[in-house]
Amino acid sequence: MAVPVAERPTDTPRPGRLLGRPGRWRRDHLVGWLLIAPAMAYFIVFLLYPALAALYYSFTDWDLRTAPNWVGLANYTDLLFDGAKYPHFWQSVRVTLLYTLIAVPLTMGTALCQALLLNAIRRGSGVFRLLLFLPVVTAEAAVGAIWRWLYDPQYGLVNVVLGLAGIPRQNWLNTPGLVIPALAFIAAWQCGISMIIYLAGLKGIPASIREAAIIDGAGPVQRFRRIVVPMLRPTTFYLLVTGVIAALQVFGLVYVIFSGGGGRSVTGGPEQAGLTYVLHLYLFAFRYDAMGAACAMSFILLVFIMIITALEFRLVRQEAS
Amino acid sequence: MSRIRLAPVYAILVVLTLVSVVPFLWMLATSFKHGPDVYTKVPSLLPLDRRTGEWSPTLENYEHVVGIGGLGRAFLNSVWVCLVLVPAKLLVDALAAYAFARIPFPGRDRLFALLLAGMMVPTITLLVPRIHVTQELGMFDSGWGLILPNVASVLDIFLLRQFFLSLPRELEEAALIDGAGRMQIFWRIIVPLSKPVLAVVTITSFIFHWNDLVWPLVVLNDPDLYTLPLALQQLASSESGRAYYIMAGAALAVVPVIIVLMVFQRRIMEGIAFSGLKS
Repeated sequence: MAVPVAERPTDTPRPGRLLGRPGRWRRDHLVGWLLIAPAMAYFIVFLLYPALAALYYSFTDWDLRTAPNWVGLANYTDLLFDGAKYPHFWQSVRVTLLYTLIAVPLTMGTALCQALLLNAIRRGSGVFRLLLFLPVVTAEAAVGAIWRWLYDPQYGLVNVVLGLAGIPRQNWLNTPGLVIPALAFIAAWQCGISMIIYLAGLKGIPASIREAAIIDGAGPVQRFRRIVVPMLRPTTFYLLVTGVIAALQVFGLVYVIFSGGGGRSVTGGPEQAGLTYVLHLYLFAFRYDAMGAACAMSFILLVFIMIITALEFRLVRQEAS
Repeated sequence: MSRIRLAPVYAILVVLTLVSVVPFLWMLATSFKHGPDVYTKVPSLLPLDRRTGEWSPTLENYEHVVGIGGLGRAFLNSVWVCLVLVPAKLLVDALAAYAFARIPFPGRDRLFALLLAGMMVPTITLLVPRIHVTQELGMFDSGWGLILPNVASVLDIFLLRQFFLSLPRELEEAALIDGAGRMQIFWRIIVPLSKPVLAVVTITSFIFHWNDLVWPLVVLNDPDLYTLPLALQQLASSESGRAYYIMAGAALAVVPVIIVLMVFQRRIMEGIAFSGLKS
């Protein structure tokens, strides 16, 4: 299947050619509006309104039971500066930043490595690609369950394999310093989408450039540094931006990994070492009924994501110039 | 020459592939083991008896999680939700994308730009008020509450519109001159020409909703309505000492998607390469 990319953002209507008969023009307006009506209704009810409502709630003390009272910026200032009222806010920020700093490079590095290897071979590349992609389509709930069992301190396969290399047993998910590396490893295990995108980028490098470099006597390392890395720069940038945005919002997996003890009880892991930002937000909204604070947290995150993304764009522009 | 040079490449690939696949093999092995055979000093990737080392698989774990564990019901709930949601979403998205791509009407491009701007807002920001809207509509803790708040996707509308824009216009214009209506053109010309992209959107949307944990988690209370990921998460926390049950549950969630992936792998990978789609 070839999916052509259309680069025609606006196709200006050409009434002269499209007019089949009189009345077509106005009937088109009606048909057009009718066809987008369900999507627009969805957009207004489940996207636009919630976004505006979240902004409003973030300035209130809404707790689901009583009517929301306007409290101005109190949620924002308390979250950021009142450590007594929100003792784990900055902890969740630290956890999330650390996770992002480890998981994103690890994921992208693994993906690039897999893509380079797959690109180098012909025979069997389809099978390898399929098997490397399996973790991507696996439900978060299953990923969390499987890895809790893999990381099991007594019977888990991870410790057995590391034991073969002489590394002593670790209680991965119960040791504060190991929680984030353990989660980042799962993220890298699920790098298949980045791998596919890198592979598409590699296929896009013209063979003539590679052949010319070989004729000029460039070795594999030189070819990688001088051709592959620069040619993949747009891909890398895209994966970096989307990867950081996704990592800052990591939630489902952490929720599954650190829920336990029956029912819906959730903790942030040992000494809150796995309390990611969005897990913290979730707990505010759905455990403590602090909707105002939860909405304020979501807008702090939104602003932070926008700042980080803008910085990434600026960094790339500087490097390019 | 190249065969010898490629040997290390294959060796590294095999190691990386093992890292990717062994967790699934271990999941399957554990799910077919008798309880006592699971907790052994030297773990085995096959369901072997702990004393004799003989082949001794069992289906007891599956029987338990499907029955008492509630995963059978949850499996059917997930099937049911996907059967309603995925086609409904495809229809809503494709109709809107067709109008945005082809039918001239006032305000069209401005509305489309508004949709794209809406795509920037992280879902987590929308989660709390979306629950509130769902409650106000009387759909909280119901099947409709699972379906309606997910029934359109701006990203899918965008992808479909891009594809529709790339189709040749001549057929449509000829049909218009022959007096065909817009809907006739959509069903007779656009849909048949767009089968590949419609397939990609359908498959990725099935995988996404089959796997989705967060929305069912916040919108459902009634265990009878639980979807498979939610029921699995509950099982994993209530039976946390019994890995064989949890792995049987995980296998129920994972295997159908793996089958879909194997059947449609080329479509899925090309779709991702095309769109950079996040699942």
